[in-house]
Amino acid sequence: MKRKTTAVGASLIFLVSFVCGLAFADLKGSVHDFSSPKWKGVDQCGVCHMPQTKEAVPPLWDTRVDLSRRFGKMSMRKADPGMGTLACLRCHDGTIAKDATGAAIRDIDYPTMASPLRFGMGHGRSDHPVGVEYPQFDPEYRPTTFVLAGWKVTLPDGKVECSSCHDPHAFSGEKYLLRMSNSGSALCLTCHKK
Amino acid sequence: MNRARLLGLLGCVVAATAIADESVVNSPHDLSARSPHRIRAVNEDQVCVFCHAPHNAAPQTPLWNRENPETYYRIYESSTTDARIDQPYGASKMCLSCHDGSLALGNVLSRPVSQPIVMTARTMPPGPYGEDADLTNDLSDDHPISFRYDRQLSNVDHQIRPPEVVTQDLPLGVHREVQCTTCHDPHNNELGDFLNVTDEYSAICVACHDMDGWRYGSHAVSNKRTPGRVVDPRQRLKYHTVSDNACANCHRIHSAPKRERLLRYVREEEGCLNCHSGDVARYNIAADIRKSSSHDPDPRTGVHDPAETPFTMARHVECVDCHNPHASRTRNIGAVRGTFGQIVKGPNENVPGITITGRAIEDSRFLYEICFKCHGDGLFRPRIVTPRQITQTNKRLEFMPGNPSYHPVAIPLRRDASPSLIAPLRAGSIITCIDCHNSDNSRFAGGTGANGPHGSLYDPLLVRNFDTADLTAESAQAYSLCYGCHARDSILNNESFSLHRVHIVDARTPCSVCHTVHGIYRGQGNAVNHSSLINFDLSVVTPADTPQGRRLQYEDTGRLSGNCTLTCHGMTHINFPYANAAAKSTSARLRNSFPGVKR
Repeated sequence: MKRKTTAVGASLIFLVSFVCGLAFADLKGSVHDFSSPKWKGVDQCGVCHMPQTKEAVPPLWDTRVDLSRRFGKMSMRKADPGMGTLACLRCHDGTIAKDATGAAIRDIDYPTMASPLRFGMGHGRSDHPVGVEYPQFDPEYRPTTFVLAGWKVTLPDGKVECSSCHDPHAFSGEKYLLRMSNSGSALCLTCHKK
Repeated sequence: MNRARLLGLLGCVVAATAIADESVVNSPHDLSARSPHRIRAVNEDQVCVFCHAPHNAAPQTPLWNRENPETYYRIYESSTTDARIDQPYGASKMCLSCHDGSLALGNVLSRPVSQPIVMTARTMPPGPYGEDADLTNDLSDDHPISFRYDRQLSNVDHQIRPPEVVTQDLPLGVHREVQCTTCHDPHNNELGDFLNVTDEYSAICVACHDMDGWRYGSHAVSNKRTPGRVVDPRQRLKYHTVSDNACANCHRIHSAPKRERLLRYVREEEGCLNCHSGDVARYNIAADIRKSSSHDPDPRTGVHDPAETPFTMARHVECVDCHNPHASRTRNIGAVRGTFGQIVKGPNENVPGITITGRAIEDSRFLYEICFKCHGDGLFRPRIVTPRQITQTNKRLEFMPGNPSYHPVAIPLRRDASPSLIAPLRAGSIITCIDCHNSDNSRFAGGTGANGPHGSLYDPLLVRNFDTADLTAESAQAYSLCYGCHARDSILNNESFSLHRVHIVDARTPCSVCHTVHGIYRGQGNAVNHSSLINFDLSVVTPADTPQGRRLQYEDTGRLSGNCTLTCHGMTHINFPYANAAAKSTSARLRNSFPGVKR
């Protein structure tokens, strides 16, 4: 019995490390690779995650920044961004200095996130809406089952979030950390019935 | 879970089959390098990026990835539009960022200006008769856009439907205005031309435009084929029959050669004669209007305006002066001659006119009202050909009720009719302008051509020959116009004027020397001197020397009797009397048969 448990545990550990190995193999060298010399002094994962403390919420988001603030008018629709999206916008709304992450970088030209990676510049109308319910019954959009059937695009809590299209860990190795190739606008047409 | 996955798979299959026509992919709006169309990118393989970007787009609602052109557009103008048309804005402006041909197709906001997407064509290629895709900055030849379509508009123009009843498939803009996106869905080319509603039977046009009489009009229901030869050679019509093409037979919605009212041809008549030259339509009107005496629309182009007032308009004639191509339909003009023949029907429905009392109306009820537009009070009436005692160029006045004598075009005669009338004409009958003025080969004249005053060999546009030259030898042919209603036997047997035979046969005097044709206006002549349409031709008849001085006069002394004072053909009559022996009996016979008709 004990041996069996050990075997299961060993295989689990093996599996997890394999998956993580795959994942972080892609992260290495990607735009989110915080282990590069430019980001010297930064905890590679600590830019986004923090160890299990009472301040952290799963999956270990760093909540020291006020995540409850709203980012302007997110879109015409009523937007309520999830934790993941807010974590992205922590950097990508261009309000936080880069060295606030603990990095010892002195980038005078771009002390904060700059265009074109700084979002929300058009008061929510320049960017694809996030934190909105996926309009699964709108005839202009494909049904949720279709969207999720490809195992690429995600809809956390049934909402469109940053992570619907982007994978911050660069698992797929696509440009712009996309979850799938956008050749032929395939990513767009996964949801949009155009 | 399994069921969800199965559903998803099923969804994939369904979507993949549906994607074929409904999707923007592979449509002409797919500008990616994989697109099957001529205009596409060289390397870029994304489809949406030419218009949309997920981030850093223009702050315009559909994540717009293009600059808006700062072009000043020439906008549509028309004398008959009630809409207030603005410079394009909103969605239309986005379409024009490619379709006005000014901005580079590959110039998108998500890329630096110095590195646009490399395309097979830098801008929208021009080509007035090619793909119609380059609208240029001249939008006056395109259907108007960026105007408010509300109840205010439909109240002013009754030929525009109220916006509430227009199908939801034709969406209006944020401020209820018509934009490019009202008719076009840029993502869906299922119906061709990215239309929202099919243009077969012009369904998309008549969704908003409710033209008078269109529903039963010939151009809406005719199943005549429009083979390649007779349609506009510069652009083929999309469908095969007149009713399928409907509006598109005459109108072009984009890049129309004739800007105002978006017509296919600059010359008004060409649009009609394209089909009405014996190829598609039954009758060859083109041949008619080339005859010596015709309503020839050729010489004056661009003068006609549907908003014109008949009293002040410049001289012109076009097909659409007498016909409303939206409402025209095939139908016999009259049932029985002399009864209701003059009520407007079929080909002349929904045409403006002038009533007998001189009032302009939108919808003529009688044929003569259409004629009076030009031949009544208009400024440019045909000049006088024959010098007469009384001259009048206003035909409306000549047919007025209360005139001493007239041909019964507007109202029936109160007096006893001429004894020579051929049945079914009788006292109380009504005739029409086209009983006399008609094409010489018309069905009315016994030919095979179209009815109506299109063109004739006999001047002035007469249905049959009518000699007016002095010393014409009498024959059935010489005065066949008159003999059509007034029996030759009766005239020559002196049943009406007892000396008809002497004058017409022996003295070879044409009818027109003594009689005018249309009528005598009551303001100019009286019932004594100008009854029976007597109005002498002064080039033949001259005054006689009498003890009271030189006089030229006819005097009515009772039914079918009178006396004349004149010099004609070297003969002088002074109070020369005549009376018809049969007058009394004829008169009594007529009175008996039509008791309501008073002498």
